[in-house]
Amino acid sequence: MTSATAQAVSAPARQVRARRFVDRKGLIALLIFLPPAVILFTVFVVLPMIDAVRFSFFDWTGYGPITDFAGTDNYADVLRHRNFGTAVRNSLLVVVVSLTIQLPLAMWCALSLAERSININIFRTIFFVPFMLAEVAAGLIWKFVYDGNYGLVPIIGDAIHTDLPFVLADKFWVMPAILLVITWKYFGFHMMIYIAGLQSIPAEVIEAARLDGVSKWRINAFVKIPMIRSAIVISVFFAITGALQLFDLIIPLTNGGPAHSSHTIVTFLYEFGIRRMRIGFGGAVSVMLFIACVGVALAYRRILFKVEQT
Amino acid sequence: MKRLAFATLLGLAALTTGASAQTTVTYLNISTGSDKDLMLELADEYMAANPGVTIDLPTLENEAFKAKLTTLLQGPDAPDIFHSWGGGVFAEQAQAGVLRNVDGLLSQDTLDSVGAAGVAAFTAPDGHMYGLARNVQGVMIWYNKSLLDQAGVTPESMSTWDGLLAGVQKLKDAGITPISLGGKDKWPAQFWWGYLMIRNAGHDEFYAAKDGEGDGYVIPDIIKAGDMLHQLAELEPFQEGFQSFTYGDASGYFGDGKAALHLMGEWDYQAQRDSSADGNGVSDENLGIMPFPSVDGAPGNSGSLGGIEGYLFSRNASDEAIKFLEWYNAKEQQSRFAAADYHIPITAGAADAMENPYKRKIAEMANKSTWHQLFFDQTLGADVGGAFNDFAVELAAGDLSGQEAAELLQQAAEDAR
Repeated sequence: MTSATAQAVSAPARQVRARRFVDRKGLIALLIFLPPAVILFTVFVVLPMIDAVRFSFFDWTGYGPITDFAGTDNYADVLRHRNFGTAVRNSLLVVVVSLTIQLPLAMWCALSLAERSININIFRTIFFVPFMLAEVAAGLIWKFVYDGNYGLVPIIGDAIHTDLPFVLADKFWVMPAILLVITWKYFGFHMMIYIAGLQSIPAEVIEAARLDGVSKWRINAFVKIPMIRSAIVISVFFAITGALQLFDLIIPLTNGGPAHSSHTIVTFLYEFGIRRMRIGFGGAVSVMLFIACVGVALAYRRILFKVEQT
Repeated sequence: MKRLAFATLLGLAALTTGASAQTTVTYLNISTGSDKDLMLELADEYMAANPGVTIDLPTLENEAFKAKLTTLLQGPDAPDIFHSWGGGVFAEQAQAGVLRNVDGLLSQDTLDSVGAAGVAAFTAPDGHMYGLARNVQGVMIWYNKSLLDQAGVTPESMSTWDGLLAGVQKLKDAGITPISLGGKDKWPAQFWWGYLMIRNAGHDEFYAAKDGEGDGYVIPDIIKAGDMLHQLAELEPFQEGFQSFTYGDASGYFGDGKAALHLMGEWDYQAQRDSSADGNGVSDENLGIMPFPSVDGAPGNSGSLGGIEGYLFSRNASDEAIKFLEWYNAKEQQSRFAAADYHIPITAGAADAMENPYKRKIAEMANKSTWHQLFFDQTLGADVGGAFNDFAVELAAGDLSGQEAAELLQQAAEDAR
């Protein structure tokens, strides 16, 4: 939403406004309000990032001075690591499923639940609850659901008289199982973004379309969805970056297993970089991930900008 | 007036603390159980006898301890003394200079009491001693007597590897899950591969491989160890879905009487109870323990797997801390841990106070062993050790052959160098 509004204001206008702001309020306000943000951001975001880049060129266990320069060895090690490909594939899989299943599902729910009434509010809350749960708690809950001895899965299996697999111990089923949890966990969040957008559509527009005899489906497709474009833009962006950074659901669910088949890029970084005390290796992974995220963000802006022009 | 009184009090307090020159000894431990009570008791006794010293015993849970230690040791708040499993992580800490060299600072009595193995465990590759050994750990096969009876298998028949395979097959035929394994945590699988390596390769060959001599780990005896585990895996001996079982889950599975065998350390005596559904676990009448099977004609049949836990001194450690630990680790104090069944003290004579017959057996095994190999993931350090655990699980799942596992391990070792 921010990018959309920012682009709505033309560049020269923005500059004028910025200059006027400094003139009017004076430097004092700037000096009071800017440093806390800049200092916090520098200490907790910028410096660690620079450190990570530095570490990535060294062999370092986390103990003692950093002296063992390794050049680009860490990067080479990451690229030929036997589990890195799986981690990248899984992260992309999460992106794809988020975009093709989760967001359409969220949109469908939003379109059905955008009206204001008490009953609908109840449904909305139910769909939103998973998002409010802490990731680790959600992971643990689903670990029990999937448990092959005591969970919900074997109960369902008994009911339909088949032996269902131990999904979290099965290299094939583990990713579908995780993707189901991710969809369940986050679709409510995207649904809420869409609902907020839908509620801001003026009633007259829809009323007019309806009076023109436009079918409900066509109203959705050609009136409502185009009008909440900025909400979709932001939700897609959250879905992609969130998917690339997925970590805290995976750890309690599978810890990356079985046999490292359910790692995402970030759990891969944690397992092989931090837990195995190869900080340089972890640094290399994080630099690659950072570049990928920045790349996605820039490419996304560009594409949007182009679409905006047409 | 009130304020004046308060200020005077503060001043007095400052004076008194200044005058008594209190030394605080901090021992960071991982004792989350009831052994902490005994530790506090001992600390109180020591403080009563040494008025100038305060003993502080902060506790961190196992995983949190491992996660925080790296940072903690490099800061000004490093504890004087902290828990250690020795091995590769200890070597890295020593090399990084975050430990205090205690060569010549420990009394001869203390050194004698922990024995050669205890001294060796906390002597770093640089030849200096940085800590003190506390207790011995040992891994053996726990078995459920009634389940073995049901399948007509005797523990004696499983004293060789071939006998174990036959026993596993019989258990399977009787519809009993032969072995419980916590594959999600990975390190439990290490015990299987590790023990087979101890048996097949023997001490000298294993250490030659570790040091990268010749083809490293890619040698026939180590390949054979992997193949034997693969051979066991083909019988599908582990509970269904074992890769989603943590150690605790697997321990509870054995405790619930659902699996006949569990290859685990002495701590499992309590853990299989605590993790079982009814909290009782396998009762003493029903619980047996036996050594890992031997392999015909192999060089490592008298070796054993386990650990030596202890304490390390951080570079901030005071002389007071060393004095306290010598007292704390002496026979008199450690016997009390043994009597209460908390750990198997390495301190000579202290283990005699142990009542638990299983733990006595494990202590016996470790004493008799010609090669008490430290847990492989500790020996090899966090990186290669982690890889070792990975490949052990994949062998147990039947996904790797012995050759592949040996090559991967060698690759991991070369990457780390």
